[in-house]
Amino acid sequence: MDGLLMITSVLLPIVSALMLMRMPWLNESRRDRCTFVGAVLLLECIVVALVAIEPQRSVVLFKMTEQLPIALRSDGTSRVFSIVMALMWANSGFFSFRYMAHEKNEQSYYAFYLLALGSLMALTLSGTMVTMYLFFELTTFLSVPMVLHTRTKEAIAAGIKYLIYSIAGATMGLLGIFFLTPNLSSPYFVEGGALMAGSLNIPHEALLAIIFVTLVGFGTKAGMFPMHGWLPTAHPVAPAPASAVLSGVITKAGVLCIFRMLFYVIGPDFIRGTWVQTALLGCSAVTVFMGSMLALREKVLKKRLAYSSISQVSYVLCGLYLLDTMAFDGALLQIVVHALTKDALFLCAGAIIFTTGITRVDEMYGLGKRMPWTMWLFTICSISLIGIPPLGGFIAKWYIAEGALASTVPVALFNWLVPTVLLISALLTAGYLLPPSITAFFDLRTEGECLVPQVRAKPTALLVVPIVILTVAIVVIGVNPSPMIDAFNRLAATLF
Amino acid sequence: MMLAVPIALPLLAGAVLPAFRWKRKAARNAYVLGMTVLASLLLAWALAAPSQEPVELLRFTSRLTVSLKADGLGRLFAVLIAVLWPLTTLYALEYMQGEAKQDSFFAFFLMSYGVTLGIALSANLLTLYLFYELLSLSTLPLVMHGGSGASVQAGLKYLYYSLGGAAFAFIGLVYLVYFGGTTDFAYGGLFTQVDIRHSAQLRLGYLLCFLGFSVKAAVFPLHGWLPTASVAPTPVTALLHAVAVVKSGVFAIIRITYFSFGAALLQGSYAQHIPLALAAFTIVYGCAMAFRERHLKRRLAYSTVSNLSYILFGALLLTPQGLAAGLMHLVFHALMKITLFLAAGVYMVKAQADDVRDLRGLGRSMGLTSGVFVLGSLAMTGIPPLIGFISKWSLGVSAVTLGGALPVAGLVALLISAVLTGAYLMTPSFTLYTARRAEGAGEPEPLGLPMRITLLALAAAMVVLSFYNQPLLDFLTRTASGLM
Amino acid sequence: MTLARNFPFFSILLCLVGSVLTSVLKPKAARALTVIISGVVLVLSAFTLRYALAMDAAEPFMMGHFPAPWGNELRIGRLEALMATGISGVLFVTLLAGFYHMPAFVSDKKLGLYCIMVDLALGAILVMLYTNDLFTAYVFIEIMTIASCALVIVRQNGHTLVAATRYMIMNLLASGLVLLGISMLYGITGHLLMEPLGRSVRQIYETGQYMEPLTVVIALITAGLAIKSAMFPFHAWAPDTYAFAPPMSSAILSGLIGKAYIFLLIKFIFRVIGLDIIVASHIDSILFACGVTGMIIGSVMAISQRDIRRMVAYSSVSQIGYIYMGLGMGTEVGVAAALFQMLAHAAAKSLLFLSTNELTSVSGDRKRFHYLHGAGYRNPVAGVVFTVGAMSLVGIPFTGGFVAKLYLATAGMPLGGWVRALVLVALAVSTLLNAVYYLHTVVSIYRRAPAEIDYPPSHRVPRHAAAALLISMLMTVYLGIGSGPIMRVIESGLKMFA
Repeated sequence: MDGLLMITSVLLPIVSALMLMRMPWLNESRRDRCTFVGAVLLLECIVVALVAIEPQRSVVLFKMTEQLPIALRSDGTSRVFSIVMALMWANSGFFSFRYMAHEKNEQSYYAFYLLALGSLMALTLSGTMVTMYLFFELTTFLSVPMVLHTRTKEAIAAGIKYLIYSIAGATMGLLGIFFLTPNLSSPYFVEGGALMAGSLNIPHEALLAIIFVTLVGFGTKAGMFPMHGWLPTAHPVAPAPASAVLSGVITKAGVLCIFRMLFYVIGPDFIRGTWVQTALLGCSAVTVFMGSMLALREKVLKKRLAYSSISQVSYVLCGLYLLDTMAFDGALLQIVVHALTKDALFLCAGAIIFTTGITRVDEMYGLGKRMPWTMWLFTICSISLIGIPPLGGFIAKWYIAEGALASTVPVALFNWLVPTVLLISALLTAGYLLPPSITAFFDLRTEGECLVPQVRAKPTALLVVPIVILTVAIVVIGVNPSPMIDAFNRLAATLF
Repeated sequence: MMLAVPIALPLLAGAVLPAFRWKRKAARNAYVLGMTVLASLLLAWALAAPSQEPVELLRFTSRLTVSLKADGLGRLFAVLIAVLWPLTTLYALEYMQGEAKQDSFFAFFLMSYGVTLGIALSANLLTLYLFYELLSLSTLPLVMHGGSGASVQAGLKYLYYSLGGAAFAFIGLVYLVYFGGTTDFAYGGLFTQVDIRHSAQLRLGYLLCFLGFSVKAAVFPLHGWLPTASVAPTPVTALLHAVAVVKSGVFAIIRITYFSFGAALLQGSYAQHIPLALAAFTIVYGCAMAFRERHLKRRLAYSTVSNLSYILFGALLLTPQGLAAGLMHLVFHALMKITLFLAAGVYMVKAQADDVRDLRGLGRSMGLTSGVFVLGSLAMTGIPPLIGFISKWSLGVSAVTLGGALPVAGLVALLISAVLTGAYLMTPSFTLYTARRAEGAGEPEPLGLPMRITLLALAAAMVVLSFYNQPLLDFLTRTASGLM
Repeated sequence: MTLARNFPFFSILLCLVGSVLTSVLKPKAARALTVIISGVVLVLSAFTLRYALAMDAAEPFMMGHFPAPWGNELRIGRLEALMATGISGVLFVTLLAGFYHMPAFVSDKKLGLYCIMVDLALGAILVMLYTNDLFTAYVFIEIMTIASCALVIVRQNGHTLVAATRYMIMNLLASGLVLLGISMLYGITGHLLMEPLGRSVRQIYETGQYMEPLTVVIALITAGLAIKSAMFPFHAWAPDTYAFAPPMSSAILSGLIGKAYIFLLIKFIFRVIGLDIIVASHIDSILFACGVTGMIIGSVMAISQRDIRRMVAYSSVSQIGYIYMGLGMGTEVGVAAALFQMLAHAAAKSLLFLSTNELTSVSGDRKRFHYLHGAGYRNPVAGVVFTVGAMSLVGIPFTGGFVAKLYLATAGMPLGGWVRALVLVALAVSTLLNAVYYLHTVVSIYRRAPAEIDYPPSHRVPRHAAAALLISMLMTVYLGIGSGPIMRVIESGLKMFA
């Protein structure tokens, strides 16, 4: 039947998760469990790839009421996001097989891990606003258990904070959905937007304000100012692989929603040149800057990486809100590259914690000797994140900057402000990502205090290989970005 | 005449219950449950007849009568009550085990059923008013059942508020008698060809009437009795203060708005704006208070305060679409709220968990209850595709379609309320599973069959309605347009 | 049948003769005779009512063969007959239900005196209902004053003496005012019989001379009768009197005697002066204001009482306020509503006083609320009866009080403007206030009794008393359900009243 593959990509992780929770024979040993989860993750990647290869299609699952269909849709956007998400998810999953050996409650962790994956797939494959809202909320609920996995008081508080922020953001999004619905030519997503700007039933200015609120609301998951408050609290308390996906993947879910709203519902032309574009650009620029500043001051490595995520994801948003083809390409590339890079960085941090118990950057002396592989990978990824050629990060930021200079923004200020902010941020990124590497490799303390960190547990290949894969990908993209850029250009052509 | 039977049966059955000397508890329980189910069946039979003629019971003057009628709105409310009452009775039979004075409790419980059906099937405002007052009286002993000082105080507060409200609603009744000559319900109101010089006075009368009935509908600032009344046993709180009593208030307001005074009279005037503003404010106020409240039942009581104003908000938009949305929420909220209250009751009586903090860690050991509680919370927060989202969506769309400052403000209030609801309902839902039980807390007692059946039935109903709801929605739309 | 024409006269005669007879009878026989007399009066009044309903207009009944304007007359109309039936019915039931308590309050020797006074009071009430002559009315006002004082003072303790004294003084003052008014009226018009008086007054009004004296007359007589019926602000004597007198006396005083005075006032307004003239003199506005104020103040004072009997007493003040509000509206509908309220209140108030007494007697004769917890369980009949009476006074549907409220509110609607608003809001507020103290008491009597108090073993209520209480309860409910015919009688009776 039509759309069977799409439905499979959603149901496969969900059903597997339910099996994992209910069937004791899967949980008899760690080995069994990990094998099962690993198999599911790989299978999921294959299914997603198949969906991506297929031509564009959509399918209606059911109708809540006559006017509210729940539908799935596979198109250019969903291909990009779903492949990125599935691969990242699988990667972190494999990492966690080793990492979680010392944690408790693995069964529920993996169950929710898979459930969240299913929900995310459905989110990327959403075909209408309400479907998207449904799975946005569902993803929130399914990812909260990962945040509060350790069940400490801080974890629970962080989980609740994440929950509340997400619900608030989703509700702000819902506001927009309410007002936009009567003004759309179709409840389904349409390339380039379905808004009938000529015949609105509320004043133009009011709709603009509502759109602003909506996009800020969906930006909660992406940690955009002013709804960023949950990120620094939630990411560090989760286990490292969970932080990795929270930071690398789930933030992209927020971006996806903004993407869909902007290009498939509202249409870029509606807000081009208005105060809304200015305000959103302002917010994302502020977030870029703010994230970097916060990362600089932070001493705990995972928190530093979390703040960094805030900043990097807002690069994407900057690129999108410029409403220019080049910046668009850059933004999508940044999505891919950042997912890879941040995932890798978090996994490195996880490996460090697992092996030596070190969490703070000022304790990382001599790590270069103890864990050379990890630190080298860390360094390479840092370089990419900062934006130094020839790595992937550079290409992405270059495109965004170029797009900013060329785009037609209402306030000419942004033409050069955005690149400036990007530059400053790059410097700041260097400021917070290079010192750990330097400390690890070049121990600059006096002789007497030199301590080689103790090894607490043996790292295995599983802890290193995933990071290697990610890093290789980053390098490859940096060297040969053209295939991706072309694909993005094709997508952009349909949307602008 | 058939309409009078389902009303009279529980009334009489309850009144004579204390007179029998019950040798075995089981016999009395069977009697209570049997009478309730029988009344529901009789109601179904009575409603199956398509006739819409009013049935006159008493006559004061030629135009002031006590009569019953089953139009679309009345059927809706009656069926809702008739479905939920037996379930709650079943639950109550297990809940009240070990409590004192069960005979009088069930007697009044039964009688209240008859009275509520009377409210649903009233053909005119006088009849509705009579049953409305009787409801206050018949539910009073239920609220005070605990017998403690707090229960008595709660009961008295409930009584004073209710009677005070009814006294003001009475004024509206008199206005109708004077200007309209009759209090009969007719879709569109009695004043379709009204004199301009009378409309100002009529609006004032409506406003007073609204304020009077808004006591039971728990609109700010007259909501104060509801949280205090949660000291009553849980079946009372669940059914009466989430469904029967408070929905009667809302029902009465819908009747006077659409069927007595009429939307045409009120549209665009202060008589629409003031109630609408109060409803919008109450939506947020109720949620804010629920958020601060730690006692589980009081939290749910405040949540009811807020949700009732959702219904009123929809109805006060004075469009058929708004009314349909309001009615949708009336049905769905009743279902969701009863589920939540009954689950809360299970926590209270089996695990001694009165407070939200006591819920920590109960998720594993009370699997069924917690599952149902989480389902209810998700629905109440408005997560698609569950029923709560459908009614909130309809309310939002109606507000947007109508446009105007107040409807939009109400929509914003709705959304703020959704966030707060998520906060105060989903937080306990998560701590059920994630937090650890306090040291020294005992094991919860297992659930008996009655409670299990009730919880499962309600959860199933919520899920089924989420997906298969088109016939119901059609019925509501037709009722709201006056076609039923 | 025309025999019925004589029934009013027979009833009055019966009462007066009965009172003489009672003075020579032994207490038990005296009691029985009084009850029988009231029963007979009830039956006679019922027949009179039937007769009056068949007539289209009120009929004058000559006393002796002296024609008007020199002779004395009774007038038999629907309204008078209805009120007579109602009042004698309530009295009959009250006597049945209350007499068995009397030995607790009154010594045997005094019981005979008591019965005499009851008979006299009934006779006087009937005269005031039926009379067509102002002077006769005054004579029987005086007789009623004496009888009612005796009813209070027959219970000998300090409280009653003080209360009775105060009652006596105020009543005599009021009687004096009435006498003054009658004299002046006689001086202006030269008539004492009501119809010729009415014609004269109308002449005076039309010609415009003697207007000041006329106004003064209206004021004097209204004030006098208002004082006697405990209208605010002349109510000060009422709470003490009703609280300390024997309960049956309180029931009779509050429920019946007061109504007779008000009825006389209505007769005065309609027949002697004329409703339009009263309205022109603005006396009705004063009555209205006093009525509304009394409604509220009476209830407010009742809330603060610690003692159940005083609470019921203050509540009477409030209920009389309802009646005066209805009168003060100055329209026929208003007066009709006030008349219905009179009937409803009479039925409910006697119910309340008697059941209150039952409740306190099973609580060790203590009246404070704390001791009354659980009284409803110790004496179920009294509990139910009290509850129904309370519901009637609060105005719960299906009782007479609710219908009275409905009629009063409907009567207030045509007045328009702020007067209408005042009527409606006052009714609403008063309902709430009544609910506060009455329903609180109902809740109290059904609470668990405090363990530390020893209650005497409850005696059984004699069957006839219980039956009487239940009948009076049914009367209240009947007024709530089947008020239609009664109201029609009142309205048609009022039309032919003038």
